[in-house]
Amino acid sequence: MAAPGTAREDNQAMEFSVSKSALLNELNTTQGVVERKTTIPILSNLLVEAHGSRLTITATDLELSVRTSCEAKIKKEGAGTIPAKKLLDLVRLLPEGDIKIKLLDNHWVEIVSDKKKYKMVGMAKENFPAIPAMPHTLVQIPAETLAGLIGRTKFAISMEESRYTLNGGLMILKPDTLAMVATDGHRLALAETKQTLAGLNGEMRVLIPKKAMDEVEKLAGASADDAKMDFAKDESHIFFQAGHRLLISRILTGQFPNYEAVLPKENNRTVVLGRTELGDAVRRVSQLADQRSRAVKFAVSSEGVEISAQSPEYGEAKEIIEKEYKGEPLAIGFNAQYMLDFLAASAEGPISIELKDEQSAGQLRPLADENYNYRYIIMPMRI
Amino acid sequence: MKELARLRAKYSDPLPAEHPAEAAILHVDMDAFFVSVELLDRPDLRGKPVVVGGRPDARGVVSAASYEARKFGIHSAMPLRTAARLCPHAVFLDGSRGKYEHWSDRVAAILAKYSPVVEMVSIDEAYLDLAGTERLHGPPLAAAHKLLSEITRSTSLPCSGGLAATRLVAKVSSEQAKPRGLLWIPAGSEEQFLAPLAVRKIPGIGEVTERALHALGIQTVAQLAATPQEKLEKVFGQWGTALHRKARGGDAWEFVIDAEPKSISQNHTFPEDLDDAPAIETMLSHLAQKAAKRLREAGLSAHTLTLTIRYSGFETHTRSRTLPTPAQFDPEIGGVFRELFRANWDRRRKVRLIGVALTGFDHGPAQMELLDGERREKAEKLARAADRLRDRFGFGSVRFGGSLPRDKS
Repeated sequence: MAAPGTAREDNQAMEFSVSKSALLNELNTTQGVVERKTTIPILSNLLVEAHGSRLTITATDLELSVRTSCEAKIKKEGAGTIPAKKLLDLVRLLPEGDIKIKLLDNHWVEIVSDKKKYKMVGMAKENFPAIPAMPHTLVQIPAETLAGLIGRTKFAISMEESRYTLNGGLMILKPDTLAMVATDGHRLALAETKQTLAGLNGEMRVLIPKKAMDEVEKLAGASADDAKMDFAKDESHIFFQAGHRLLISRILTGQFPNYEAVLPKENNRTVVLGRTELGDAVRRVSQLADQRSRAVKFAVSSEGVEISAQSPEYGEAKEIIEKEYKGEPLAIGFNAQYMLDFLAASAEGPISIELKDEQSAGQLRPLADENYNYRYIIMPMRI
Repeated sequence: MKELARLRAKYSDPLPAEHPAEAAILHVDMDAFFVSVELLDRPDLRGKPVVVGGRPDARGVVSAASYEARKFGIHSAMPLRTAARLCPHAVFLDGSRGKYEHWSDRVAAILAKYSPVVEMVSIDEAYLDLAGTERLHGPPLAAAHKLLSEITRSTSLPCSGGLAATRLVAKVSSEQAKPRGLLWIPAGSEEQFLAPLAVRKIPGIGEVTERALHALGIQTVAQLAATPQEKLEKVFGQWGTALHRKARGGDAWEFVIDAEPKSISQNHTFPEDLDDAPAIETMLSHLAQKAAKRLREAGLSAHTLTLTIRYSGFETHTRSRTLPTPAQFDPEIGGVFRELFRANWDRRRKVRLIGVALTGFDHGPAQMELLDGERREKAEKLARAADRLRDRFGFGSVRFGGSLPRDKS
């Protein structure tokens, strides 16, 4: 590549200045989307566009894209691409104040902060993939509600690539409720909340990839408490817009399992424990559980709940939590990690453990969760 | 049946008492197994030098040699061409793995009648623990005699046995008893039995250790036993501790621990290098099924599956995949190996050897499935039924799709 020359004189040139804090904010928003280990070099770059009085930054990994913008002083309108990681690392290190960015020949980009000057190798903006435009908004969803649903279900998503329909969460929109469900084939988390979704006719289901859920959660976290997100959908994409930030994700294709069929209906052996006492006991007992399977045994009887584990390598552990229980005694094994994942996502307060028998799925529910109807279905282990 | 061997490895004292009260470990070893099986079909070759492994001018090595051929210095693992030079008039046979497996399975079925603790350590060799079987089969020596007679009677295959208090002495004594013999080493007489033998007779002592011992002036087991433990440890480190023990007939600790396999692998070297994808995949499927069956027999499931491809010219590639939940059944294990093969064979070069290995074992409590419990239950039932049939009628009696040879017509 030829050495960078002077600024281009044609109308393709781009030149603007932006405050460091505004730029850094938006660059941070894009980092979760840019792929570190991509085989397509342009995907490591950000598309930077200067128009009117705004600077727009776009990142994509082809599955998931984010488009965000901030105020800038535009000297010349135009666009270019800049390596995302390098730009973020550099901008982080720059002092507060204005940063001037100018497109040079051969897609090089000049970055100037006061007396400090840097030139980075960019790539032709024409190579940057086209990002679908947002269709009209279907419904508005409070950002906090979305984050609440995602936080209660995301951990149950399967990381097994071969089970790709489980690599995301299913969002179920109804005129008066919004629900999210995720499963990895061993446990299933279902959270539901009352939410009027004006403008929705009937039920809509979309399968959202895990990475998109991470980013929606982040967007929601960065929004004001009462902020709403615009939700839209075309044939293959979903769109979440929060203010000037737009997240676009491909919809996971394929059939999400019929989760309604595995929701327990006759789990009438119920015992109620405090979230903290249960979590603490499981954490302690699992220290001596088989390290691979992490199986912990729950024996429920009129004496209460006995939580125990053993492994030939480490020894054994047993704790008894005295609780009222009137049903038939029952001993069942669960993966301690699965249990702890749920407790971490649950509201503080009593947790209801509802069982049927040693072979059937157990159900856990936090009783003090005011805003969400939250159920966690967990398959036992043979012990 | 390997399940019990595993339990013993886990719960028994890794350094058992010097001399257990009774000699109840039986080592059964088939005599010149591959040759003996071939002779079932070719009785005309009886009494002649026979070599199994391939044509005398082929590239491979000797898998087995008849006792007559051994007189000429032929032994297994020797290049076929060397064997042909030593004994040009020997009869060379190709051998067929399937046939040997069939007979091996039949022998295993007989062994299983004599003890619940049977460990097939290879296709023609097994350890049995006869302790506690007296009321069924009489004292161990009588049971061993009955067992060997039954094998010979019902299969016409010659075999030998060694009965002792430890696996090590049992193995050495079956070797001394060959062919068609049974040797009993009563508890307490191990050292006396081992003393005059060359150190090389002790399992685990190979060429390298033998050379090192010779350098110390140690030729016989008696000399090894008389060498102070400290001296052996100084020269061999931990292995010295094991040698000291072995010289007294004790099993070295690692010998017992090995009862639980760390990996299960199955390899196949093609008689001719192949670039025919369906034929290679057929063999791959067969190997995966064999490994999966051994896995289930050991009561284990595997997290990591490793494929080995060796090209002509010996360049060898291995590729692994680690599963989030351990696998035990054929469709899953076979499927992963097929994917690994398709993704990693370069399609340009011919394949000399293909192999599968299962590692990362799990025998802890099994996580049950929420979504496809029914499908898994079916897979489990199918595998158990297939394994039962294979135990009775040989491995080839049940094949899953994918390992069926293609119709040549």
